[in-house]
Amino acid sequence: MIKYLNPSYIFNLTGKILNLVKFFIIPIIIVGIIFSLFLSPKDYIQGDVVRIMYVHVPAAWISLLSFGTLSLLCIINFIFKIKSVTLVYKSLAPIGLTFNVIAIFTGSVWGQPTWGTWWAWDARLTSMLILMFFYIAFILSYKFIRDPINSSRICTGISIAGLINLVVIKYSVIWWSTLHQPASVNLTGETTIHISMLIPLSVMLLAFLLYCALIFLMKYRIETIRVKKKGIK
Amino acid sequence: MNLEILFMNGYGIYVWSSFIFTFVVCLYFYLKTKKTLKKLEKNFIKETETLSKIELENLKKQKVVREILVSHSKN
Repeated sequence: MIKYLNPSYIFNLTGKILNLVKFFIIPIIIVGIIFSLFLSPKDYIQGDVVRIMYVHVPAAWISLLSFGTLSLLCIINFIFKIKSVTLVYKSLAPIGLTFNVIAIFTGSVWGQPTWGTWWAWDARLTSMLILMFFYIAFILSYKFIRDPINSSRICTGISIAGLINLVVIKYSVIWWSTLHQPASVNLTGETTIHISMLIPLSVMLLAFLLYCALIFLMKYRIETIRVKKKGIK
Repeated sequence: MNLEILFMNGYGIYVWSSFIFTFVVCLYFYLKTKKTLKKLEKNFIKETETLSKIELENLKKQKVVREILVSHSKN
């Protein structure tokens, strides 16, 4: 177990996985685009505009997943003080923020033809916007607070508060009457989306996940080199 | 070329702008990250060159440093 937490082992592994991800990502993105723009059917109510779902939904999922993961890592780091965990959450946060912005933008573009407005102060939309502020606060905390103990404490505080917001995002469509539709894909319950739409959605999710892995591995290497550079000075 | 693919019954502007925005943001983020990584690796190598032989040997005892030096020379 100790071996797997060793920074040199992880650094070496990131290089190997990076090459593997680079090999698969382009074909999967191309397949995803072909499926979602050309092969998937139109929605019987929304028509072609439903295709926005293939970028909006995976982006929103990844943004939520990233925040959930970094919150968990912050708590682990707060309790056990593992250096490599700090590097992981620092590498993960910008990815989550990027996908959060993509989800908000594409959601807004989707809202105009379906709801007749670019933005509404609806529970789901507002809680996603709040998540963006949590991401920004989190990134600013580790970038500008020099003292690592203080920075770690503040990051943990922000991530725990953000976790509460994640619960609000998840249940906002159930607790309040919202413009946003309830979830069509459920891991535990019934999935109401048709297989002809679920396949492109899954391919795009895989493409986005591979992209996340690519950026995450590069970011992890950046953070490791930064730490080592400080050691030279 | 089938213009239907482009116009999508009037929804083309919404669909294409969403996809283009997503891919432009992702591409920009990827290029920016790649550039930062290359720059940092280069700077790291430069800094190790300014060290004395003993300091460099001590630094190379750290496995991560060896990995960084090896990965940079591969690229």
